[in-house]
Amino acid sequence: MGNLLEIELKQETLVAPTQEKEGQTFLSGAQAMMECLLAESVDNIFGYPGGAIMPTYDALYDYIDRIKHTLVRHEQGAGHAAQGYARVSGRTGVCLVTSGPGGTNLITPIADAIIDCTPLVCIVGQVKSNLLGTDAFQETDMIGVTTPVCKWNYQITDPNEVPEIMAKAFFIAKSGKPGPVVIDFARDAQAAKMTKPFVYKKVEKMVSYSPRIVPKQDQIEKAAELINKAKRPYILFGHGVLIADAVQELLDFVEKTDIPCASTLLGLSAMPNNHPNYMGWLGMHGMYAPNVMTDECDVLIAVGMRFDDRVTGDSTKFAPQARIVHIEIDPSEVDKIKKAEAPVIGDAKEALKMLMPLVKKGDFTGWKNEFRKLDVKEYDKVTLRDLSQEGKIKMAEVVALLSDKTNGEACIVVDVGQHQMVTARYYQFRKPNSYIASGGLGTMGFAIPASFGAKVGAPDREVVGIIGDGCFQMTIQELGTIAQSGLAVKMIILNNNFLGMVRQWQQLFFDNRYSFVELQNPDFITIARGFGIDGHTCSERENLSDSLDKMLDSKKAYLLEVIVEKEENVFPMVPAGTSVSEIRLE
Amino acid sequence: MTTYTICVFTENSIGLLNKITIIFTRRRINIESLTVSETERKGISRFTIVIKHEKREEVEKLVRQIRKIIEVLAVFGYLNEDIVYNEIALFKISTPLNGKSVDVETINKVYKAWVVYWGLDYVVIEKTGTETEIFDFFRYIKPHGIIEFVRSGRVAVGKTPQGLIEYLPEEITEWEYYL
Repeated sequence: MGNLLEIELKQETLVAPTQEKEGQTFLSGAQAMMECLLAESVDNIFGYPGGAIMPTYDALYDYIDRIKHTLVRHEQGAGHAAQGYARVSGRTGVCLVTSGPGGTNLITPIADAIIDCTPLVCIVGQVKSNLLGTDAFQETDMIGVTTPVCKWNYQITDPNEVPEIMAKAFFIAKSGKPGPVVIDFARDAQAAKMTKPFVYKKVEKMVSYSPRIVPKQDQIEKAAELINKAKRPYILFGHGVLIADAVQELLDFVEKTDIPCASTLLGLSAMPNNHPNYMGWLGMHGMYAPNVMTDECDVLIAVGMRFDDRVTGDSTKFAPQARIVHIEIDPSEVDKIKKAEAPVIGDAKEALKMLMPLVKKGDFTGWKNEFRKLDVKEYDKVTLRDLSQEGKIKMAEVVALLSDKTNGEACIVVDVGQHQMVTARYYQFRKPNSYIASGGLGTMGFAIPASFGAKVGAPDREVVGIIGDGCFQMTIQELGTIAQSGLAVKMIILNNNFLGMVRQWQQLFFDNRYSFVELQNPDFITIARGFGIDGHTCSERENLSDSLDKMLDSKKAYLLEVIVEKEENVFPMVPAGTSVSEIRLE
Repeated sequence: MTTYTICVFTENSIGLLNKITIIFTRRRINIESLTVSETERKGISRFTIVIKHEKREEVEKLVRQIRKIIEVLAVFGYLNEDIVYNEIALFKISTPLNGKSVDVETINKVYKAWVVYWGLDYVVIEKTGTETEIFDFFRYIKPHGIIEFVRSGRVAVGKTPQGLIEYLPEEITEWEYYL
């Protein structure tokens, strides 16, 4: 950080283009785009070519030894793969797609990335600038369409703009509260030559955008005072801890203060599950004690989380007794749902570091035991039943067994629904950035492309996608991407032949009226084989352990389908819109 | 319902109006009036947006959301008593040959309005003032027959001795909100 990176291109550094000083040939917009990606150390991009992005794909052809491009099977797959890549690696995911349908197919991942704070730079082709607004072939107003769901967007119509705009794009995507940036790249700006030499200056500051990283000292002091006075303090941490790379700082803070803590769904894996101060995770299907104890604490320390409605239930009844310390990088999140008595605007890592010397060493053994007492209740009513090993295989035992076999160290990518919640409950995370889920948007179809992207971002880690049978069919074509890549992505379908979560709600809240939730599924293994991915089905409990071993031992991508209990419900459950005190265990 | 005036300072870039207005749309807040022009500092635009809302808290949240837009430099929210504000209205009034003639003296002295154009059988009167003043005049002139009436959005300056632009340093280092 600190020094500006300037790249004055020399002829020998480029394969194809030449760039001479005296009014000769300069880089085209598309070539400049490639140089920008190199300058930002982008090593992987995910994309799909088409008419309006062809000049950029042509330029990419000269860079394939330095920028690895993965051809997906649908642009949505490119977006989710870039998300998986970004979430596991902490780097910015890059997508490259064409105009019109290429861009609109990317909308779901963009909306997913903004709500889950995932840094993406989406380069979308656009028709030539003289055709803008004429309903030209494959013209969609991408600026108009993406404005509500992206952090920033910009239409490039002049090749000279490329370096400055891309530097801004990467800065905006990754800094502060990360999010997706959309670059609408007109075809003529891709093809035309720049009229000046390519110079890339990394942006580290903008006049109109400079998120606060280091919190104000007075906010820290006020927070510390509140924390030190607390008799029953309770930490809720979220995705912000992982984004800020504040895992160690959180651990240090928790160990010094001895305050019990719980995670949000997306905060999972920021703290090892076996830590004595870790009480589990909270939310609609979160654990009993972490949910219920929000009503018992006197000071609630929220770190990098935003009081989502799936966390709070009825927010007016959520922890009404608690005085709240809210550590958050985005000022618009403070007081949005819960009024914070001590807001701390800044990066979680910096905030925790600054708090450390100010907070007292504590001992909250008695207070922590109150959580543990409730855990027993949950164990008796829920966990025992889930892991009973009676009747058909249950989702929980698959996840618990996988957790044992991988020592809690795999990177788990989940889709959306019952399997997502069961995985959150029964996988014992040991390493950070290990639970990749579409939390805010709840995008079914997320997991196949995101597990692929996660494997690209962390090739040395075991990446296992845990996916429902409904979700699997939403982006099933990305099996082709995985097969072509040769990467050893492991996938488990927890197949109950139902859209399980919707069915559960219909059973509990809609009087058992199962409206369009039963699926007639294809033979998933035959389909996988058709794509060139091996796999098998496990329907008997006695084969489960061997089946998981076979999948984990495979050196190539592998699909394991497990036939599970059809009408299993996920508990605990806080029914939507009610208070967490109304949590149901059965 | 309380009237709030929201002043937004932005970089002058394409599409920004849309980026700002969808923040209101998404929260189902109706914009009563909207005025945009370049400020005394080149390249910086000023939006003056008038809304009515029951909850101050919600307006504060709205202000923070507007501030979050990348090209937005600063956002200020005001109650009416905090600002000096005006609107401009033009009235096209029918003055047929044998009809009642307009009383220019009353228009000027009582209503502080001016005839800015004389047509053959109509006049155009300009009235500057608050919404209330404009509608007072509207009621007075109505019997003459209003052929056309148009009213601008509000423009406003704060009652503090400083200019708002002074809150915009060359290099902004803080995320600040004023409401």
